[in-house]
Amino acid sequence: MMAIDSHTGVGSQIPRLSLALLMLTQAVVVVPHGAHLSWWVIVVGLACAAWRWMVFQGRWGFPSRWIKVLLVTMAAIGVGLDVRLRALSAFSLETATALLIVAFALKLVETRSRRDAYVVIFLSYFVIATEFLFEQTMAIAAYELLAVVLVTAAMVGLNQMHTRIRPLVSLRIAATLVLQAAPLMLVLFLFFPRMAPLWSVPLPGGAQTGITDRVTPGDIAVLTQSDEIAFRVVFDGPIPHPRALYWRGIVYSRYDRGTWSVGPQHTAAHEPPLQLDIGTSTPRRYEVLLEPTQGVWLFALETPVPVSPGVELTRDYRLVADEPVRSLFRYRVDSFADYVADRSLPDWLERRETQIARGVNPRAVRFAAELAARYPNKRDYLDALLERIRVEPYRYTLNPPRLSSDDDIDEFWFDTRAGFCSHYAAAFVYLARLAGIPARMVGGYQGGEINPLTGHIVVRQYDAHAWAEVWLEDAGWVRMDPTAAVAPQRIEQGLDAALSEPDRATLSALTALRFGGSKIADLMYWFESLEHRWNVWVVGYDSDRQYHYLRQLLGGVSPVKIGLVMLAGGAVSLALVALSLFWRRRTQSGHPLERTFRHFGKALGRHGMPRAPEESPRAFLARVAQWLDKPASDLMPLVESLEALLYNPMPDQSRHQRRFVERGLRRLRLEAALRNRN
Amino acid sequence: MKSTPAVITPSSSSTTTPDGSFATAIDDVIARLSVVLLGKHLQIRQSLACLLAGGHLLIEDLPGMGKTLLSQALAKVLGLTHSRIQFTSDILPGDITGASIFDRDAGAFRFVPGPIFAEVVLADEVNRATPKTQSALLEAMEERQVTVDGETRPLPQPFYVIATQNPATQTGTFPLPESQLDRFLMRIEIGYPDPDAERELLKGGDRRVALERLAPCMNRESLIDAQAAVERVKASDPLIDYVQRLVQFSRQESEFAFGLSPRGALGLLKSARAWALIHRRSHVIPEDVQAVLPAVVEHRLRAAADFSGHGGGALAQKLLSNVDVLG
Repeated sequence: MMAIDSHTGVGSQIPRLSLALLMLTQAVVVVPHGAHLSWWVIVVGLACAAWRWMVFQGRWGFPSRWIKVLLVTMAAIGVGLDVRLRALSAFSLETATALLIVAFALKLVETRSRRDAYVVIFLSYFVIATEFLFEQTMAIAAYELLAVVLVTAAMVGLNQMHTRIRPLVSLRIAATLVLQAAPLMLVLFLFFPRMAPLWSVPLPGGAQTGITDRVTPGDIAVLTQSDEIAFRVVFDGPIPHPRALYWRGIVYSRYDRGTWSVGPQHTAAHEPPLQLDIGTSTPRRYEVLLEPTQGVWLFALETPVPVSPGVELTRDYRLVADEPVRSLFRYRVDSFADYVADRSLPDWLERRETQIARGVNPRAVRFAAELAARYPNKRDYLDALLERIRVEPYRYTLNPPRLSSDDDIDEFWFDTRAGFCSHYAAAFVYLARLAGIPARMVGGYQGGEINPLTGHIVVRQYDAHAWAEVWLEDAGWVRMDPTAAVAPQRIEQGLDAALSEPDRATLSALTALRFGGSKIADLMYWFESLEHRWNVWVVGYDSDRQYHYLRQLLGGVSPVKIGLVMLAGGAVSLALVALSLFWRRRTQSGHPLERTFRHFGKALGRHGMPRAPEESPRAFLARVAQWLDKPASDLMPLVESLEALLYNPMPDQSRHQRRFVERGLRRLRLEAALRNRN
Repeated sequence: MKSTPAVITPSSSSTTTPDGSFATAIDDVIARLSVVLLGKHLQIRQSLACLLAGGHLLIEDLPGMGKTLLSQALAKVLGLTHSRIQFTSDILPGDITGASIFDRDAGAFRFVPGPIFAEVVLADEVNRATPKTQSALLEAMEERQVTVDGETRPLPQPFYVIATQNPATQTGTFPLPESQLDRFLMRIEIGYPDPDAERELLKGGDRRVALERLAPCMNRESLIDAQAAVERVKASDPLIDYVQRLVQFSRQESEFAFGLSPRGALGLLKSARAWALIHRRSHVIPEDVQAVLPAVVEHRLRAAADFSGHGGGALAQKLLSNVDVLG
């Protein structure tokens, strides 16, 4: 913030229309940041814009130095308070961005000279770049590309003359510039080394989406109202039927007063790391493109073996990432469907998976004891539980009555008898545990939607699901889905089929549309496939893939090779631009003889007799004659022929005449060369 | 080389004119004007080219340089009816266009045409009049008709305005705005005579006498024919490209506050055609364009950094020296 009072000449003022364009640009680049900015930053921005507008109209003046100091101080305090209130760390990305945007907005009220305008323009580019730290979707990329064009147009506008500000022309020039820069951008994107950051700020935290590591029956119903994408999967081989796809994410082992959580985790110190005895079975191979979850857990089919680096297998056969997933995360998995998990159960694990709460759910305890007496076999006992769900008036709904007491299992199992996947899974697991059967609840997603255009599977938040796993001797952990007993169509055909009318009403409009099967659904498929390709080719192009492709391309990666490739790529892209410029100029030039004579002029220039642009053939040849110590009349035939060909074209002009001119010019070149030699 | 049949020798076809009679008549006009205005061949030819191209002429120079003399001589030698209006600060539009006067004998209003109803109107010191009167004249120039009391009256054909003005920096003037300057095809300056011409002038006495003795050597019909001949002068594609490059340059360079208008471009080409005709050529060559360019464009251009409006000369030179004759 400094007042530039010395810059008050006409030349350093910002043309009025350029200023309007500049303000529009500022608004456009800040808009995407709105999602993660505090409301007061927006207010400051709008206030500054209003102030600048009043200055623009000549009603108000620029703020004085003291007001500016006050504004800056207040803004700094505001950002500080923001950090406290939103419990951010002082050096988080949100804080830094908020500071940047506030400064950007305050710059408005002191933008008076051209220099300030340039500062605003360069800041605009920077603000555009920072948005990509928060979001990298195709829509954002397209928007920011347009924003880049607009910023560039504002810069072009600054360089137009006062009397001739034409926004459309600036836009066209800017678009051309951006287009010309595209090849270079491509080269940089493909080849520029993706270096690890020299310092790092915590990436944006944001609210967690998707399933979490603790669940109260009822949570998943909230998820079903969201059609946000959880992840996409690309299978190497044929795509299995969605019904068979149980994407395991989190295993809930601990029950406490109606809440299920992951429970105490087993650490490597307890036991050697898990080694799967895969044998000869063939796996299902696929790649998952996981949207940010802010958690470490990953999703995979049973029983997964991680292939990608940075992914590990836990004791309960889940995949976890080394770091929380804060941006699109790609990983490859091999899944062995036939693998028997935990042929024998260690004591500590059995204790964990049979844990129940004492003194609650008395009716369930009695019920389990009676049932276990009737069915001593564990399998029979579990089948009886499922049979009861099937026969008794249980129903599947997204709007179940609230379970209020600590005896929530009793309340659901005997009284309300209405709920969705997590209610059934929770009750089933609890009742299994009451009979001494090791059991646990699994959270994740079930099913997915095949995009017919690209053949990948899209799993959305409304596919969130919970089911049970029980441990049986010889069989290991077996998946059992009580929801399939109450609403088989939920599993067979997806959520849509299992919904009643009142349930449907709770869905968002977009989700409802997605289920419509209309033309709009087709369009959505199309956009989805675009977004998927974007994720695979652009967002997912990380340093590993870059290394991989470069090695394929160059047969080995070394700094020298990368440097050479970048140089070559840069040269090619610049050459393309140069060629297009050259081509455009070339097509403008008209008569071939004009070119011949221009070359002649250049050639003579090399001998010390250059042609000035304003010299016509006649004038130049007269000078040449003098220079060569010839009488002017010697060259008259040549001059007359040349002039006649260029300026007095006749239909009957023969090629003789042209050849005569070309020969004459050649001879003059020769004479000029000889003259210098002597 | 001269044995090659296709070669055009200087004596043969380059001097072909569409009609030999113009050539001699035009040469005659130039010769007679040179007697009146000594040592000003360029200005005489430029003004003649302007009139042959059918455009109005603005002569700008200090008092006593022969502005009025040239304009009167032009009218006289071309054999056209002419009238002279001396502009002052209190002259009114009606003084130029004429007015309806009540005729007591006929018992009705009768239109008395003003001095503008002549083939050549000499508007002396046009920038001394108020803008209102100037605009009356300039409207007549563009429309070639006058509307008085709701009735539109056509002006004679041909109709030329030869206006003279003092440089705008002189006191007591109302400078013509750009929009009105644009209506003059050419603006020429006469300049001081060279020593020889001045000596002859001093020896020979008053040029008014020469003007009195000046006899017309063209008339209305032959002038109209000559104008038609100007239209027939050929402008080839490479030449039109050159004109376009000139115009484009003036529109793109940042030194120019604004570029040449399409009317300016058209005027440039037409003047070049007339210049070619005067020089007995049936086609335009770049030298023709270069010769008339300063007179045609100077008053239409203004430097971006200049607010007085008198940087046109330098800009015309810039145009000439920066734009390549060849494409």
